[in-house]
Amino acid sequence: MDTPVVAFERVSKEYLSDGAPVTALREVTLSAGARRFVALMGKSGCGKSTLLNLAGAMDFPTSGDVKLGGESTRSLDDLALTRLRREKVGFVFQSFQLLANLTAVENIELPLLLARSERARERAKEALHWVELEGHESRLPHQLSGGQMQRVAIARALVHSPKLLLADEPTGNLDTATGEMVLKLLRRAVDERGATILMATHSLESTGVCDEIVRLRDGRIEA
Amino acid sequence: MTALFLRLIVRPLLREPLRTALTALSVALGVAVVLAIDLAGEAAAGSFRSSIETLAGDADLEVTAPGGVKADALGRLAALPHPLRLRARMEDYATVTATGEVIPLIGLDLIADALESAETAGNGKPPEGDVVWLSSSMGRKTGEKIDLQIHDRTAAYTVAGVFEQKSRIAVMDLALADRALRRDGKLDRILVWIPKGESVDAWAERLTPVAGTSATVAPQGARTRENRRMLEAFRWNLRVLSYIALVVGAFLIYNTISVSVVRRRAEIGVLRALGASRAMVLGAFLAEAALFGIVGGLAGLLLGRVMAEGAVGLLGATVESLYVSSKPASIALTPLSAMVAFAIGIGVAVASALSPALEASRVAPTEAMARGRIDYLSRVRTARDLLLACALALAAALAAQAPPLSGKPVGGYAAALLAIAAGALAVPALVRMVDRLASAALGRLGGVEAMLAMRSLTASLRRTSVLVGALATAIAMTVSVGIMVGSFRSTVLVWMDNQLEADLYLRPAGAASADRFPTLDPTLPDRLAALPMVETVDRFRAYPISYRGLPATLAGAEMKGRARFVAGTAQGIESCDCAMVSEPFANKHGVRVGDTLKLEIAPLRVIGIYFDYASERGYVIVHRNTLLKYLPDPAPSNLAVYLKPGADIEESKRAVESAARGLNVAVFSNRALREEAIAIFDRTFAITYALEAVAIVVAVMGVAGALLALVIDRRRELGLLRFLGAARGQVRKLILCEAGLLGLLANFAGTLLGVALSLILVFVINKQSFGWTIQFHRPVGVLLGALSLVYVATLLAGLYPARVATSIDPIRVVHEE
Repeated sequence: MDTPVVAFERVSKEYLSDGAPVTALREVTLSAGARRFVALMGKSGCGKSTLLNLAGAMDFPTSGDVKLGGESTRSLDDLALTRLRREKVGFVFQSFQLLANLTAVENIELPLLLARSERARERAKEALHWVELEGHESRLPHQLSGGQMQRVAIARALVHSPKLLLADEPTGNLDTATGEMVLKLLRRAVDERGATILMATHSLESTGVCDEIVRLRDGRIEA
Repeated sequence: MTALFLRLIVRPLLREPLRTALTALSVALGVAVVLAIDLAGEAAAGSFRSSIETLAGDADLEVTAPGGVKADALGRLAALPHPLRLRARMEDYATVTATGEVIPLIGLDLIADALESAETAGNGKPPEGDVVWLSSSMGRKTGEKIDLQIHDRTAAYTVAGVFEQKSRIAVMDLALADRALRRDGKLDRILVWIPKGESVDAWAERLTPVAGTSATVAPQGARTRENRRMLEAFRWNLRVLSYIALVVGAFLIYNTISVSVVRRRAEIGVLRALGASRAMVLGAFLAEAALFGIVGGLAGLLLGRVMAEGAVGLLGATVESLYVSSKPASIALTPLSAMVAFAIGIGVAVASALSPALEASRVAPTEAMARGRIDYLSRVRTARDLLLACALALAAALAAQAPPLSGKPVGGYAAALLAIAAGALAVPALVRMVDRLASAALGRLGGVEAMLAMRSLTASLRRTSVLVGALATAIAMTVSVGIMVGSFRSTVLVWMDNQLEADLYLRPAGAASADRFPTLDPTLPDRLAALPMVETVDRFRAYPISYRGLPATLAGAEMKGRARFVAGTAQGIESCDCAMVSEPFANKHGVRVGDTLKLEIAPLRVIGIYFDYASERGYVIVHRNTLLKYLPDPAPSNLAVYLKPGADIEESKRAVESAARGLNVAVFSNRALREEAIAIFDRTFAITYALEAVAIVVAVMGVAGALLALVIDRRRELGLLRFLGAARGQVRKLILCEAGLLGLLANFAGTLLGVALSLILVFVINKQSFGWTIQFHRPVGVLLGALSLVYVATLLAGLYPARVATSIDPIRVVHEE
């Protein structure tokens, strides 16, 4: 059997909020294989974002194990986690999170530059072309529409060909038509680039392009 | 209004205590330096009354003359049919042999003027023998012996009594003083008390013809006033230099308030929508600046008082070696000086906050809610600012041409300020230019972190410009003063090479001062000339004089050495009543070759103006024969000994010392004299280095505070970089790159501005204040050292903000929007 791209084994996560312990995830077990598009659905505060952060090696579980490509994040130090993210994970956010003073192509090549990868500019242009924004290389984020910004963000998340793409409400700030276009783009990332996507969303319409829907409620996966 | 101030201003300040503290500290340091220089200057300059003026009482007039007042003048004045009270004085200095301390020595007619508070050994009658009375602060007891060196002789004196006095002084009877000081009956001053209620000027006029041909009758304290006037330029320039730290502080206040306004534009918009008036918003931000002024000002008062203790020693040494004998008085923090310093702190803080506060008050509710950072950025009008900078630079060049105003280089100061303003306005263009030209290269050299750092600095152009402006101003000051001092130093070295030609130099032992001219045994030159290795001996005698209300030095020399002339020559000086004057004297009094100086001893025609860097008091030099014609005292103050070719210096020095046995004489080789002169020079400028250091510290603190603000403002971006694969080390490197780039930009701008300021300092401010011609010189090594030091300090200033940046929780900051 193939190793899952991401796997959660009885993962719980607690944190302190104003000094009081809050459980964000409880005994979550979940895995996603290659080329899978998984939607995480649930209301605000159900643990979707926490799950994405754990999957992206941005945080550690309180108990249980998170494995990326079979490698447990628990035993890794900060530098190893950073390397893991550089190689295997891409992020797409609801509010695009482009750097305001970098052009579109510079935003896209940033992960490559941070990882000291070769041919950064060339690969960034290819990614821009893939999201159908050729000709927009030199535009600053404020010169782009919301949909264009999210496409740049997707190109940035895919530029280093990660196995896992984590999308946190990627259509939350977009109108319906633009949102649909972004979802199609994400689907293409699975089909054409072989990425596995975990997408947090609270909208049922967004899940139409997904292979699997996982519902979260109060930090647990609903049956 | 109070609630608005507390919520909009105070609460955010308390949320960033470190940055708030750094800004307040920058004001505190600025205020402290201004206060310290003021207090120390006052203490160093205000000490004349407490030393040589001690026991002078509240006389109305004083009679003085170059070389001393003849004793018969006292008889003539006493014989006048007027109810005048007269007191004769001899004033000089003695060195306490045991400690090397130089103290004022005052000779009084103790029979006529019994010391009121002295516990004399007899009943108002001075005891016989070599006795002195000492002030209580000397810590001696009646009956003890004390060795005093007076001129070149040391003798043991018995302490006849001790009197209450804070200053450390010695008093002896006039007859003994006459003998010990070799005055030959000449008095230094006759103090005159006129009948109460009568005009001092009228009495001065009436007594002048009686006092003698070369004597001057002037209101008492004239010498103190002259000394103060002489020190004015020195104190003025120091004061101006002390304001630089405050100017740097002003940049930082401007930056802090600007950041405040930018961060709170949305809040301001909401408040305006809820009914806050423009005046309320303006008031709130000005109050924020005033708060920094108050807190910084209060801390500055305490800090300034402490710093003054350190500064007074440096200033006292400079005053002593360049101007006049002086023992610094104790530092007195008067309510007035405290209030002035405090007001300056608040004033500078509020004035520098005016522009961003006005900007805040103009925020329309809708604008603040809808727009933000981009709107803010667009208001940096680089091209307009650059044009304005060019206009200001032109105005600076014009101001530098202006003549001095009441002896002060006001045009020079204005030029310096305009140049600083021009520099600050040109900084945005410089940042943009570097971004355009060097961004790619930076990326290649320093990696993505350097590229991001440059982009971030360009994106926050206004903030970056203010920071670079502040640091560049401090660096420019270091560079300009460094160039000025370096140029001055090398000019003095060249001058010494030309001027100091003799092999050995002699003067009475003890600390030297610009206005003390103790004399050597008159027979010593002949004894030295008789030594087999000696070619010739040049005798030099100096007297302190007053010329047009300013102290100066009249000297007689045998002109065996060379001098370099600004104008004219010394040819024929031995055979006429003519003089050559030093450049500072000529510039100070507007004297030209061919002019006649009306001195008390005689009118002297000026035949040459020579380069001189020995004293700012200014010299009038005549041939020794001319001097002896009017002041027939053969004792020299200094001797220059020229050896025969091939004579061994050390051996000759020993022979000279042997010939001067029994006298307390200091013999210097040519090399030792140069070394001593350079040591005095370096000590003189030590205070300027201290002032520069404070300005740099203020600027570097500003960089640390501003970087911290940048980190806080960009925490989302820094957190995002972690999501995109940046390691903590890369985030740290990014912040350090920003600090490094700020340092580089500031070094570049500061060096350019510094060179411009150095031209103003050397050719305008120095020339108009002190009258010296300085050959421009670039002390590249020293400057590179200083710039590297500043650069390292700037990098270090980035360490804490970098630490804060790496400890940001990326999940929280990225999701908090």
